[in-house]
Amino acid sequence: MRSVMQQPFRTAVLVLVWGWLLFLVLTPNLLVIGASVMTRDPGTFISLPLNLDAYRQLFNPLYLDVFLHSLYMAAMTTLICLLIGYPFAWALSKVPRQRQMLLIFLLIVPFWTNSLVRTYALKLILATNGLLNNALMSVGLIDQPMQMLYTEGAVIIGLVYLLLPFMILPLYAVFDDLREDLLRASHDLGAGRLATFVHIIVPMTLPGVLAGVMLVLLPAMGLFFVPDILGGSRNLLVGNVIKNQFLDARNWPFGAAASIMLTLAMAFLMFAHRLSKRRIGEEGV
Amino acid sequence: MKKLALAGILAVGLTGCSSDDPQVLNLYNWSEYMPQEVLDRFTEETGIQVVYTTYDSNEAMYARLKLLDDSAAYDLAVPSTYYVSKMRQEDLLMPIDRSKIEGFDNLDPELVNLDIDPDNQYSVPYLWGTTGLAVDTADVDGEVTAWADLWDERFEGRVMLTNDMREVFHVALRVLGYSGNTTDPDEIEQAYEKLTELMPSVRTFNSDAPRMPYLEGETDVGMIWNGEAVMGREGLPTLEYVYPAEGIIAWLDSFVIPKSAKNPEAAHQFISFVLQPEIAALISEDIGYATPNLAARDLLSESVANDRASYPNATDMINAEFQEDIGDEAMQVYARYWEMLKSGR
Repeated sequence: MRSVMQQPFRTAVLVLVWGWLLFLVLTPNLLVIGASVMTRDPGTFISLPLNLDAYRQLFNPLYLDVFLHSLYMAAMTTLICLLIGYPFAWALSKVPRQRQMLLIFLLIVPFWTNSLVRTYALKLILATNGLLNNALMSVGLIDQPMQMLYTEGAVIIGLVYLLLPFMILPLYAVFDDLREDLLRASHDLGAGRLATFVHIIVPMTLPGVLAGVMLVLLPAMGLFFVPDILGGSRNLLVGNVIKNQFLDARNWPFGAAASIMLTLAMAFLMFAHRLSKRRIGEEGV
Repeated sequence: MKKLALAGILAVGLTGCSSDDPQVLNLYNWSEYMPQEVLDRFTEETGIQVVYTTYDSNEAMYARLKLLDDSAAYDLAVPSTYYVSKMRQEDLLMPIDRSKIEGFDNLDPELVNLDIDPDNQYSVPYLWGTTGLAVDTADVDGEVTAWADLWDERFEGRVMLTNDMREVFHVALRVLGYSGNTTDPDEIEQAYEKLTELMPSVRTFNSDAPRMPYLEGETDVGMIWNGEAVMGREGLPTLEYVYPAEGIIAWLDSFVIPKSAKNPEAAHQFISFVLQPEIAALISEDIGYATPNLAARDLLSESVANDRASYPNATDMINAEFQEDIGDEAMQVYARYWEMLKSGR
C-alpha cells in the first residue's frame, strides 16, 4: 500500500531533480564551455571556428594581475572571516541549546534581505558624510572624516560582511561535534590549554575551517557588485572582468573562459578539501 | 531545444491572453531619464500601462536587445547618437512610421536628419545633453576651466569620472589635442598613458547617478552629465557645471523601436505623446537635459531656459564634439586599455 503511494511521488521527485540538474546546471555549463572555445564575433557575439584563443588571453599579464589582486582581496576576506568566525563559532557552541538556536537564527536573518540592498546600506555607513564618520566625530575620536568608501578596505569590509555567515556555519558544526571528554582527557594527560588547542582542537575543527574557507574564498572573487558599489568600480574582482567581457567588451569567449577558470579553481579547492579530509580521518582513527 | 519550445508555448500563451487585457508598453531607458509624471499621464490618457526598465550604459542596452532578439520584451529604447547608427546598420530597428507620429516638425532642424540616421527613418530625438566638468566650489579654491585641470595635484583623491569608457577616453584625447572619436591605436595608447597619470586622483567611477559622489562629499571635481549637475544643485547649491576649454562632450539620445517590439503601435503613440510641447517642456524642466523640441523651448520657465548648464550658449559649444560610432576594431582597443586602466592601482 505504502509503496504504491510512494511510487508516483518518487518518480515525480526524481524527474524534478534530474530535470533541474539537466536544464539548470548541465545545460548552462555546457553552453559556457561551448562559448569559451568559439570565436568572438561583433555581430552575433560568438561564431565558429573553434579555438583556444580565449584561454590564451587569460595568460595576458593584465588579467593575471587582476586575478592575483582579486585573489589577494579574497584571501584577506577569508582570513578576516576566519579570525572572527572561529572564536564566534566556538563561543556559539558553548551557549545553552535554546539560545544557540536563537543566535543562529539571528545570523541567518540578514539573508532575507537582498545582498545588493545590504551593500548599499553599507555604503551609507562608510561614506564621508556617513553614519560611522559622524559617530566617530561626535564622540571626538577624529576631527576630519576618514575616507573609507571607494577604497580597497571598503571592498574587503563589504565582502567580509556578506560572507561571514558562510564561515561561521560550518565551523559551528564542527565545534558542536567537538567532544568534551577529549578535551578533558587531554587536560588529564597533562596538556596545557595551548597544547590542547594546537593538538586537539585545531585538528578536530580543520574540516570546518576548510569548508568555511571554500565557501568564502571563491564567492569572494565573484561578487562583482561589491567593488562596483563600495570600491568605486576600482579594485576589480574576477567577477567584474567576467561581467565586463559579457556586457561591455562583448567578448563572450573570453568571459566564458574566465568563468570556467573560476569554476576550475573551485573544483581544485574541493578536491584538496576531500584529500585533506581523508587524511584527517585516517589520523583520527 | 525542448526548453525553447516550452518558452515558445509560454510566449504564445501570454500574447494570446493579452489581447483583452490592458495594453502594455515596455520602455527601456537610461536610469533617471524620464519623470514618473510623464508615464502616469500617458497611462491616464491612453490606458496603456508602461513597464519601465533602465540601463546605465549603451553597451548593456545593446547586449540585452540583441540577446532578446526572439523573445523580445522592449517596445522602445533610447540609445545615444552613435548607437543609433550601429543598431540601424545591424538591422535591429524597425522603421518609424512618420504618419503615426505627431509633432515631429517641432524638433530643432539642426538635430534631425543627421548622419547617424538620414531622414530619421529609425529614430526620433528625445533629449540632448553634454558631459562636462563638475566643480564643488565650496571645497575647491581657484578656477577650474579645462579638462587638463583635473590632473592638478591638489585634487588627489577628489576626482570622479563617469563609468563610461568612451567618455573617459574622450577627455584624455581632447587634453592631448586629438579627436574624441579617434580610431588611431597610437593616439588611444597615449590617452591611456595620460589617464594612468590621473588614476591616483580618481576616487570613483560612477554612471548610475554621477551627481551622488559630489552630494555625498566623496568627490569635489570631475566629470558629470549636465542634467545630473542641474539635479545635483538642488541638494548641493555650490555644485557648478563648467564647459571645459578643450571642448565639451555632446550627445543626443533618440527613441528607437527595436525590430522585435511586441507593441510598436503603443511605441508610436508614446513618441507622439512625448513630442507634445507641454510634455517635452515638463521633462526638460524636471531632469535638466535639453529638449530638441523648439515648441517646448518656448514653454520653459525663464530660469530653466536661461540655465547655461541645460541650454549652453554658442561660445559654450565651441570645440564641442559629438560621439560617433568608431567601429568594433577600435572599440576592442579602447576596451583593452580601459581594463588596464581600471585594474592598475
